Amino acid sequence: MLETARYEGRRRIRGAAVLTAGVGAYAGFIVWYFTVLEGVDYEDVFEDLPPAMLEAFGIESLSTIEGFLGAQVFNFVWLLGLGLYFAYVAGGTVAGDIETGRMDLLLSLPVMRSRLLVEKFAALLVPMIAVNAFGGPIIYLFVVAVGESVPVDNLFLAHLLSVPYLLVCAGIGLVFSVAVDRAAIAERGAVGTVFVLYLVESVVGGADAYDWIQYLSPTQYYDPTPILIDGSFEPIDSAILIVAFVGLLVLSQALFERRDV
Amino acid sequence: MSGDAGDSSSDIGVQPENAAGDRPVVVEDLTKEFGSVVANDSVSFAVNEGEVFGFLGPNGAGKSTTIRMLLGMLHPTSGTARVLGADIRDEAALTAAKRRIGYLPAHLGFDESMTGEAVLDYHGAMKGETRRDELLELFTPPIDRPIREYSTGNTRMLGLVQVFMHDPDLVIMDEPTAGLDPLKQERFNEFVREERDRGTTVFFSSHVLSEVRRVCDRVGILRAGSLVELENVDALLHRSGKRVRVHANNAAVAAITALDGAVGTERFADGVQFIYAGDANALLRELSAHDIHDVAIGEPPIEDVFAHYYGTDGTEDTGDAAERSSNA
Repeated sequence: MLETARYEGRRRIRGAAVLTAGVGAYAGFIVWYFTVLEGVDYEDVFEDLPPAMLEAFGIESLSTIEGFLGAQVFNFVWLLGLGLYFAYVAGGTVAGDIETGRMDLLLSLPVMRSRLLVEKFAALLVPMIAVNAFGGPIIYLFVVAVGESVPVDNLFLAHLLSVPYLLVCAGIGLVFSVAVDRAAIAERGAVGTVFVLYLVESVVGGADAYDWIQYLSPTQYYDPTPILIDGSFEPIDSAILIVAFVGLLVLSQALFERRDV
Repeated sequence: MSGDAGDSSSDIGVQPENAAGDRPVVVEDLTKEFGSVVANDSVSFAVNEGEVFGFLGPNGAGKSTTIRMLLGMLHPTSGTARVLGADIRDEAALTAAKRRIGYLPAHLGFDESMTGEAVLDYHGAMKGETRRDELLELFTPPIDRPIREYSTGNTRMLGLVQVFMHDPDLVIMDEPTAGLDPLKQERFNEFVREERDRGTTVFFSSHVLSEVRRVCDRVGILRAGSLVELENVDALLHRSGKRVRVHANNAAVAAITALDGAVGTERFADGVQFIYAGDANALLRELSAHDIHDVAIGEPPIEDVFAHYYGTDGTEDTGDAAERSSNA
């Protein structure tokens, strides 16, 4: 049981460690930078910016550490950076194995394709959980170290609710991975799709006529800044993300069952 | 000679009384098209229990396509096959059968970053590893090192360990000796014969005639996607001949190439090359009668054998090949 997930997960440990260290280092820099900016009335600086831009970067309240983290770390790293990262990595899973001939060996083992796909995807939980489980405490310790404070429950929620969002991004990557023959194309397709969805949500958010388009983007359903500031979120948003993820997984299964490898 | 082939093919074709699925591999009208390219055109044959079956053909003939359909990696366009009784279109049945199948792909895509040991641990957990230690004494890949440091030969040896480690009933190998040095090839051939004697059924593809000759009990020949011959190795031996390369003057060349059984003559500056399938003594007598500067007698490349016995060149259409085979 789960031999494939365990084996594939082992292959992801090094990447997960590097990712977590990188994200932790960036978060440390941002927290330090917040202390440097203290005393600067930078809310004024952003007052003149167009609302669409403030929306795009999730800028709400930069004078508090929660608002600053929400904009600089969560909107930038979790929403955009990790979203793209997991789309990219998932894009390489199946297509990469087919390209290197590794899939031949995997499919010679007594395992159904559907199960193989789910277990390979499950291995992506290693970096996904690591970056949240270690990233959260790292951020918290940095904040405490500079003499600020952030509500632990809100920080926990911001990490927890990022998981369904990241699953959807990875799910988009998985669909590309089973649909396309070459890893590079699957990876680019997945990254491009997630990035375009991110931009679309930011851009049409301000326009009433086509505002329905923004609901196509997974970024619409995960908004870390309000979670960090006052713990507010809509449970339905996470439910929508989970349903979307299951849909993407089912679609990947159907495509993978049918294809020649 | 054609009588030989006729006799042998009549008792090894897919016979109704044998088609019950008791044989380890039964292929029935298996066809695979990639767009307009027909990679396998209605291929039918069966592999008997406990034999070494060679699947011979030049590169690009469609051997890997057949093998990869047998293992469920490719879906057939039409026709089907049964592997250890499992219909290859039934994923659940085929997956269950894979516990008793060992497979060596032509290209071994191991994880470069993992050690051989980690890969074998995974394969062992999935399908069993009763013979792992015994095999690691015979084939000796450095399993504590990452696979990216392996030589081609070491990678092949790791591949062979994973093929046999769960003591499979059926072994399917795609060009198993590619990348092994001659000594290792010899050891491998010996190993395959021993495995057969233990009762394992072995099905492997090759484009090397001499290899197939040495280890196979029966041979199926695939050419341009069609099975053109199915015969025992002795019959093939008679048909394939030797490649003879002689450096001599024109008069000698004319006399030698006039021998019965010399075909596919190709002249070059100071000599000639041809395939000789006639009496060996006649050739040697003729050679000794002339002033020969140099002579080389060796294994003909399989492409040449095919060209001379089954058609004029490798690109002929499959219909022609099928026709020739039925006339043979």
